Amino acid sequence: MSAALEARPTRSPFARYRHSLWLLTTRDLKVRYSTSFLGYFWSILDPLVMAAIYWIVFTQIFHRGTVGHEQPYIVFLLTALLPWTWFNGVVSDATRAFTKEAKLIRSTKIPRTIWVARLVLSKGIEFVVSLPVIIIFALVSLGTNTPAQLHWQIVFLPLAIILQAALAFGVALIVAPLVVFFRDLERAVKLGLRFLFYASPIVYGLESVPIHLKPFIAINPMSGILSLYRSAFFPLELNWVDVAVSAGFTIVILVVGALVFRRTIPTVLKEI
Amino acid sequence: MTDLSTPVTAVQAPVITVSDVGIRFKRNRRSRRSFKDLFAGSQRRARPGEFWALRNVSFSVAPGEAIGVVGRNGQGKSTLLKLVAEVVYPDEGRIGVHAGVAPLIEITGGFVDDLTVRDNVYLTAGLHGMKRAEIDAQFDEIIAFAEIGDFLDTPYKHLSSGMKVRIAFSVISRLEEPILLVDEVLAVGDKGFREKCYRRIEELLAGGRTLFFVSHNERDLRRFCTRGLYLDKGALVLDASIDEVLDRYNQEYGVTP
Repeated sequence: MSAALEARPTRSPFARYRHSLWLLTTRDLKVRYSTSFLGYFWSILDPLVMAAIYWIVFTQIFHRGTVGHEQPYIVFLLTALLPWTWFNGVVSDATRAFTKEAKLIRSTKIPRTIWVARLVLSKGIEFVVSLPVIIIFALVSLGTNTPAQLHWQIVFLPLAIILQAALAFGVALIVAPLVVFFRDLERAVKLGLRFLFYASPIVYGLESVPIHLKPFIAINPMSGILSLYRSAFFPLELNWVDVAVSAGFTIVILVVGALVFRRTIPTVLKEI
Repeated sequence: MTDLSTPVTAVQAPVITVSDVGIRFKRNRRSRRSFKDLFAGSQRRARPGEFWALRNVSFSVAPGEAIGVVGRNGQGKSTLLKLVAEVVYPDEGRIGVHAGVAPLIEITGGFVDDLTVRDNVYLTAGLHGMKRAEIDAQFDEIIAFAEIGDFLDTPYKHLSSGMKVRIAFSVISRLEEPILLVDEVLAVGDKGFREKCYRRIEELLAGGRTLFFVSHNERDLRRFCTRGLYLDKGALVLDASIDEVLDRYNQEYGVTP
């Protein structure tokens, strides 16, 4: 009687995971781009405006752009600001990962890590499509007396992306379920991100950090990752010790995230 | 089913087994939770401020059975359905669901306000495991059943609430899953459409689906179900034929004896 029902081919769990993840990621992007007039430009407008502000403040007011190897400063800024925008987007959206989608989560049993992974992926796609902005500024700088130079270290870009995706995923795995129990965490995370922004080598370079502050910057897992990104244009910024610290931190955070997530998810499902 | 060597009396391997299941909830949403609570693991007793929504519930369901869940409000009917749908997990006991589930629970939940009806159909059906080609093949039927052909490219938020339920039911009831869970979703919607949904459920039942049905409507329960589960105060009080279960329920809580 149910032969027809059982004959239906079932996909492997991995294929289903990928399928669901992709559906939700494209849904996020579709909603973002179909509901606003500027669509794609919003994902580059935010970092661009921030870059413009920092550029004016630091080069025109503080004359920061005089440090030789940080030229051209706008490219220097963007090579760290765009990845930061990705990380920032994932972690701050993770605070609403469960509360915002409560109805959908209550009605499907897809693996719950998808609710977090989709943030990493959709923000990651926005990051990748915003990269041409750097190329444009680099090309423009060729006409000035401080042209941007691309170095072979660009090959580290995939490594940087993988490390950052893993780090953001791990942090989001911790933040997303805990916010369900402690709503205050939502604001605490925003504050923490703002702090981390200035504690990361974004508006300044790793090279110009005073020696007594170096250890504090180095234990920030974003430092090494950002130095990898930057090394494509600014090879002096590459610091393998920091990269190793970032990689170690990323693994620890991923493990902790997986444990926290697994442990709390039954309670999360009851509370949302 | 296809195994002819087993004697006729042999019980079919169950599609759902629920053994000693219990789940507890907080009585007060605002009650404080400490980090220790979160990681303390499952304890056998409820902490203060918590209550057992269901406890010591055991039963198993053979393929093709149609089960009606009966009980007053707040006795754990919907929770039981959610447990079977595996959208919440029990605090004690085990639940084995050995076949795919099409949950008609909070069916409109997966729909996104800002996307069009067309996008929403692909999204929801996809999340429930349908492949793109399968959805393509069934798309026209889904739309025809919901009777909203003119609104394909309308954002979901602009539909009337009746239309929303119609398209949601239409999508979920197309899922080729062997187990169907229905949770009073059809209380909304006009009479004509409700009848259409019921006919669709009967069609699915005739096709060998297993049905889990929560309703307060006695006539509907008798129409679809052969077996009844009577839940009271978080316990499974009676597991018998639907007529027996309804008689007992009416005896205890019925208005007309």
